[in-house]
Amino acid sequence: MSSLKFALAVTALALLLSACGGESTEQLPNTSQNSGTVTYNGPAPSTDDVATFKRTVWDNLVTQDKCGACHGANGQAPTFVNEQDVNLAYAQANSIVNLSDPSQSAMVTKVAGGHNCWLQSTSACVDILTTYISNWAGDSEGSAKTVELSAPTIKDPGATLAFPADSADFSATVYPILTTYCSDCHAGSGPAPYPFASPDEATAYSESKSRMNLGTPSASRFVEKLRAELHGCWDDDCTMSADMMEMAISDFAGLQDSQPVDPTMVASKALNLTADGLLANSGGRFEDNVIALYEFKFGEGQTAFDTSGVSPALDLTLSGNTDWVGGWGIDLGPAGENEQGFMVPAGKAQGSTTASRKLHTLLTASGEYSIEAWVAPGNITQEDARIVTYSGSSTTRNVTLGQSLQRYEVLHRSTTSDQNTPFATQDADMLLQATLQHVVVNYTPTTGRQIFVNGVPTDDVDPNDGGLLTEWDDSFALVLGNETDGNSPWQGAIRMVAIHNRALTPEQVQANFEVGVGQKFYLLFGVSHLIDVPESFIVFEVSQFDSYAYRFTSPFFISLDDSVEPSSIPLRGIRLGINGKEATVGQAWANLDVVLDSGSYEPGTGQPLSSLGTIIALENGPENDEFFLTFDQLGSNNFARSEPSLPPQPEPADLPPSSEIGLKTFDEINESMSRMTGVPTTNQAVFNTYTTVKQQLPTVETIQGFLSSHQMAVTQMAIQYCDALVANSQLRDQMFPGFDFSAPASTAFDHGGKSLVTGPLLSRFVGSNLASQPGDSEIETELSELMDRLTSCGAGCEPDRTETVVKASCAAVLGSATTLVQ
Amino acid sequence: MSKGINVRLLTITEEKDMTGRNRIRSLIIKACSTAVFVALVSGQAGFAQAGPREQAKRIHDRIAGVPPSSAVLDAMQSDIASGRALDAAFTAMDDSAFYDVTLKNFAAPWTNEAMSKFVPLNDYIATVIGLVRDGEDFRKVLYDDVLYIGDPSLNLPNYSTSNNNHYESLENSGVSLKDNLERVNQSTYAGLPPSATAGVITSRASARAFFSAGTNRAMFRFTLINHMCNDLEQVADVTLPPDRIRQDVSRSPGGDSRVFLNNCVGCHSGMDPMAQAFAYYDYEYDANSDPDGELGRLVYNAMGETDPETGSRVQAKYHINAATFEQGYVTPDDRWDNYWRQGANRRLGWDPSLPGSGSGAKSLGMEFAHSAAFAECQVKKVFENVCLRPPSNSADRSQVSSMVASFESQGHDLKQVFAESAVYCMGE
Repeated sequence: MSSLKFALAVTALALLLSACGGESTEQLPNTSQNSGTVTYNGPAPSTDDVATFKRTVWDNLVTQDKCGACHGANGQAPTFVNEQDVNLAYAQANSIVNLSDPSQSAMVTKVAGGHNCWLQSTSACVDILTTYISNWAGDSEGSAKTVELSAPTIKDPGATLAFPADSADFSATVYPILTTYCSDCHAGSGPAPYPFASPDEATAYSESKSRMNLGTPSASRFVEKLRAELHGCWDDDCTMSADMMEMAISDFAGLQDSQPVDPTMVASKALNLTADGLLANSGGRFEDNVIALYEFKFGEGQTAFDTSGVSPALDLTLSGNTDWVGGWGIDLGPAGENEQGFMVPAGKAQGSTTASRKLHTLLTASGEYSIEAWVAPGNITQEDARIVTYSGSSTTRNVTLGQSLQRYEVLHRSTTSDQNTPFATQDADMLLQATLQHVVVNYTPTTGRQIFVNGVPTDDVDPNDGGLLTEWDDSFALVLGNETDGNSPWQGAIRMVAIHNRALTPEQVQANFEVGVGQKFYLLFGVSHLIDVPESFIVFEVSQFDSYAYRFTSPFFISLDDSVEPSSIPLRGIRLGINGKEATVGQAWANLDVVLDSGSYEPGTGQPLSSLGTIIALENGPENDEFFLTFDQLGSNNFARSEPSLPPQPEPADLPPSSEIGLKTFDEINESMSRMTGVPTTNQAVFNTYTTVKQQLPTVETIQGFLSSHQMAVTQMAIQYCDALVANSQLRDQMFPGFDFSAPASTAFDHGGKSLVTGPLLSRFVGSNLASQPGDSEIETELSELMDRLTSCGAGCEPDRTETVVKASCAAVLGSATTLVQ
Repeated sequence: MSKGINVRLLTITEEKDMTGRNRIRSLIIKACSTAVFVALVSGQAGFAQAGPREQAKRIHDRIAGVPPSSAVLDAMQSDIASGRALDAAFTAMDDSAFYDVTLKNFAAPWTNEAMSKFVPLNDYIATVIGLVRDGEDFRKVLYDDVLYIGDPSLNLPNYSTSNNNHYESLENSGVSLKDNLERVNQSTYAGLPPSATAGVITSRASARAFFSAGTNRAMFRFTLINHMCNDLEQVADVTLPPDRIRQDVSRSPGGDSRVFLNNCVGCHSGMDPMAQAFAYYDYEYDANSDPDGELGRLVYNAMGETDPETGSRVQAKYHINAATFEQGYVTPDDRWDNYWRQGANRRLGWDPSLPGSGSGAKSLGMEFAHSAAFAECQVKKVFENVCLRPPSNSADRSQVSSMVASFESQGHDLKQVFAESAVYCMGE
């Protein structure tokens, strides 16, 4: 196994950082509130570095509730919190810290291994210790560190056991132990979350998968909880309980077959994210002035730890409909019934007012702030929803970041701002989207409020002049995802929140955005067995994207042997494999076609293969899922992919029989009436009427869709056309030759007058000898009766009654189904 | 039923202070409602036994939307009686209403997102009408350098790239489109290089509807709907590589990546690599003073023109929301690839003689137009337009198949499809 210094992206980041290096940053005030328990009366720090050590590490850890109880002057070695002589403590501490890589300090790794974390969450202690040591080391925050690549254990894909789809084997092995010993609390109806001992087997199996490790049963969470954390043991014997659980999981694993990969495939070696992933987070975040930080690493329980290292820790209590998000984060859901049918209020995470007071103290002192968050709004329809708020009620606050539709809103109390008047991004910009976003709210007395989304300032200008925060109320509480009164719930996921007591510069905001969120790993897929390059790997940056997917990005090829380079090796079609098979969805490199060659290859950094990223579905969780790669071609190894032939298309189902006939639609009616009457569609009166009623006419041919409103519109059109027809002496004479329009109504229709009207109407409007139209005699009878009724006024009729009767007769036929039906 | 309602309306009218005009109207309404009631009943009853004359009437009604003159009806009847029903159908297509009414309303819904027929005549509709009138290979509708404008002798406002006045005046003048449309080169009028023209895709109406704002995916989707008779759900295929899905597509909508993996990816994996063909197009308009883009115009970054935001010919809209998923695809050019030549969408019947990839809208338009799905879609649309129903049973479906074959073998002349559909549905 060999290793080398790997400086991926470090150069670029370093350049970026050096550009920001000129920014002046103030050191945090000493927020340690430990003086009540330890008063230092020993010799003064002999050097500046000792003084820094005292301020950053010693002051924070010397108390009895942390390391002071054991590692004090008379305690066990190393006595790095010697309360009598800080210079001696400094000498001891130097032996257990790594100032160039604080996270690798012995002090940190010891605690990470389970040694006396003073909090519920080991990872929280680890983060806090790392922060303290980083602060001691100086400006290590905001700088990128080097990631060292090392070869993983080489194993073939497919050897990993996968969880079976059905729960039968689980029910026969592990489930009885869970129901016997864990169901008082974890059955779903009990006090604890995670119903892995639910009476419903399927629920229990689904909840249990992430807590069992089939490859290494002893590493299962179920076993570790009993053995290392002494949680929920039975018969007062944790060792026996843990052994029993491990045995059951071993039995369960024994029932499963490994799933070998198709031997014809060209496959890389296999890796597991948790076991084989190299931590890839290279730092680079600006957190010099962070005073509260939530990374949600713990992943279970009801507490989100403040890992800023600034005392007092402002831990948040999760309540209501909350859940942890895989890959760090919390998910806040709406109020509703849970699986057991109980009403659960909307989720929120709230700190105590006492602990929240540090925000008041530190922010009113600086007079400025940055609230930084990685959020994934659940939708873009929620309004007045609080994402991060430091407030007393829905109408009293110090500062609130909220969502209204696609706006980020900031409400804030200052000497110049009304606490209930939102300052927001613009609706039209649609900046808030229902996807993972980095949002920063800056406030300084000079620029007022500023909002940044995904590292970019929104350019919205605070309408208020800069003011002071002197009116802030110190009795408020910090809440995520809701208001203190629970009445302004926000739905979505929060992956990180940081509160800084200095405004971040735009460069720092951009840098923090670029770093991203969540734990990232490098996975080195071995390919030495496929090509003639020793210690060669295809490396991906991998992270758990959310609870349901992994993200793979930026693959590159590298050999850990600096003395070799690839030469003209074709690489075509990379696919990601998971648990013995290729992932169905998300194969972003299936079309990759590159040549590994010394021209593109740089010893130490390798050859980038693609700038793309993708996500693939999570199956059994990062502890269990086994990844590998397949290639269409790598070197001389080929895998010929063939597509199965298309299955025959099923015969579509028959539709219900539909009417043979249909309606004419608007333009057809207009054009038909124009043709029949001879009145052009451009006749002004006709055109006006048509424009008015156009959308009231039938728009589809379906005869079942005919409405009375359609008939009213058709009637108006018919009247208008007939009016135009009769009003035009030339047209009417052509249409009704021989009919005397000047005769009074009482006589005009006598002696064949009627037939001079009905005859042309029948031949022009209805057509002749068409069995599909009503019979002539039927229509004649109807029209005759109509004329009789309309002329019954006799001698008393108005002078224009004759024209009116012709118009009416015309419209009766023109507006009828003889025109309308096709 | 309509009679009852109309009588009630009449009563309401009579209760008002009746002017002379009102009285006339009420009388006429009464007359009309009576006639409609009678005719509807008798019309339906009388259609069971359709002879050549009734068949001729129906063919004319369905094709032209207006009743035939008695001379035309006689001629068509005679053709049908002599076993030349197709000739009768072509006779009906001589009626100008086939162009002014039927084809106009046939194409109008394709020219706007709401798929409304109530839109003024525009260059898209006119081009469809013109291609049919001239018996052109209808596939050219998606890729040719073609545009139909009103006859210059009509003294209409000139064709403009930034308004629709030319076509609205043409429509309102009432002249027949059959006789007054003139074929020209789109490139000459629209300010596009000939290689950037793609039939109706690059028409002004289409650009206004589908290139304005957004990401140009609308052009892809609506071309798919209107000319391939498939919406995206019907062609979703999650198994295709997502390597061309742009950065603006969230991989975790609402914080849940399952939505992307099960839904979004299915459409975007195929759509994004093809919609890339439109990367150099945009529709420019003043969103403040002209929110509907009535005065906007199609723009195209020709060779040598660079978008300041992308630094290439690619329009800025292709790079928007880049932070949504930074490792997504960054569009460098207008190269398109048809991923649907793999997987389930092979069933769309792509032309094996075409390469399945290219640059720009023209070659993508041809990829679409030369597919079996395009031909089948045109036939189905015509069938439904003429028969007033979708193909509903095995007889209808086999008729569609035979019409597709005929469409393909007879130079893709859409008139042939209208004729065959009308004969098939003329009644027995």
